[in-house]
Amino acid sequence: MVERVRRFFAERSVLEVDTPLLQPGANLDHGVMPMRVGDAYLPTSPEHALKRLVAAYRHDVWTLAPAFRAGERGQRHQPEFRMLEWYRLGWDDARLADETVEVLRLITALPGPAERLSWRDAWTRAGLDPDAVQAEGGFTRDERLDLLLSERVEPLLGRGLWTMLTDYPASGAAQARLRRDPAGRPVAARFEIYRDGIELANGYHECCDAAELRARHDAELPLHLGCAIDAQFHAMLSDGFPDCAGVALGFDRAVMLALGLPDIASTMP
Amino acid sequence: MTSIPISDISKGAKLIFDNAPWLVTEVNFVKPGKGNAFYKCRVKNLVTGNVLEKTIRGGEKVDTADVSDTDMTYLYSDANGYVFMNQSDYEQMSVPQKVVGDDKDFLLENMECQVTLWNGEPIQVRLPNTVTMEIDYTEPAVKGDTQSRVMKPAKLKGTGATIQVPIFCAIGDKILINTESREFKGRTDK
Repeated sequence: MVERVRRFFAERSVLEVDTPLLQPGANLDHGVMPMRVGDAYLPTSPEHALKRLVAAYRHDVWTLAPAFRAGERGQRHQPEFRMLEWYRLGWDDARLADETVEVLRLITALPGPAERLSWRDAWTRAGLDPDAVQAEGGFTRDERLDLLLSERVEPLLGRGLWTMLTDYPASGAAQARLRRDPAGRPVAARFEIYRDGIELANGYHECCDAAELRARHDAELPLHLGCAIDAQFHAMLSDGFPDCAGVALGFDRAVMLALGLPDIASTMP
Repeated sequence: MTSIPISDISKGAKLIFDNAPWLVTEVNFVKPGKGNAFYKCRVKNLVTGNVLEKTIRGGEKVDTADVSDTDMTYLYSDANGYVFMNQSDYEQMSVPQKVVGDDKDFLLENMECQVTLWNGEPIQVRLPNTVTMEIDYTEPAVKGDTQSRVMKPAKLKGTGATIQVPIFCAIGDKILINTESREFKGRTDK
């Protein structure tokens, strides 16, 4: 599987790179807790290091790197896993989503067409209206949205095909840029790829606005106790980050799917 | 009572919710990408047997229940309940009638049971799956018909409880009873 991926990117002149495992500051994605080692943080994805390479060399890059997330253990989660992540200069999220499906087909050899579905339409498909969701049972509205997404919406996605979930709400932009959907609502240029109800990849048309990203990370910081801002990363953004799209693909989940294994743990020694 | 992070619990853990002890029978970690993490647990109330789903935020702490199973021998009943003896330290303990419930129908002296204790108090008594009891009284047996599915009531010796038995059973027969389903399973001596 790795060989097929390596050949795929070599044919497209995407450079394979290695990324360091000790980061001076933490990734600050919502709901993702980094692990700390000494005075450094382990990457929750190779995003920061890859983006610094993209900024420095203005070249398409890819890596298959270990990623670590504290407290994540379940059927589809392990605290240590591998992320296949790559960046395409001058691309947008739609084009990269197509290529991500191509890579997933290559890894898993699973058949089926691909569909594009907006985040809102996915809720409609499940018979739900995200705007009508209220705080309930001691859970905030935000938490209720996540619970309903996991329980009702996600299981319907990618059934026998590849679903590209697009146009995320602006509040879930992470490091994606914002734009407007056809109805004029602000949405994030973010996509996720689903197969058989399982989320496999998450990509963005990257936000290049240093001040905006700094503000998003500053807002996340209080939710990440004991974490520090990655100053090196933000310094790079201030110096200028090129227009590009990037995606992170959970390699072990793809392997689990390809081999028909019951959980992620079964893909590991 | 100890508090532990929800991420540390697994199937078989015993926790306290709403002042009652619950057994975790299933744990699932759910988390949408860049979203909030939750643990969805299937829990069984150790007192009432009720089963329900609990959703707990990732990062939250839960209280563990001090629950243990102890092998005990049933000795006798008195006005306060049923007296059992702990097989390891020979201490006697009175178990309230409501804890034993309908299982009293099959509880015979010297029967070895498992008593579940929560904070040292009995909350559940588990009888052996199958017990052997003698028929104290039943209508005369219908001879020869050992395949019959026609049933009749029979009163059991020791407890006075009545269960349904096939019509070929007679007074004095020793029969096997499933304590869970309360059904006749067979005869031991014929």
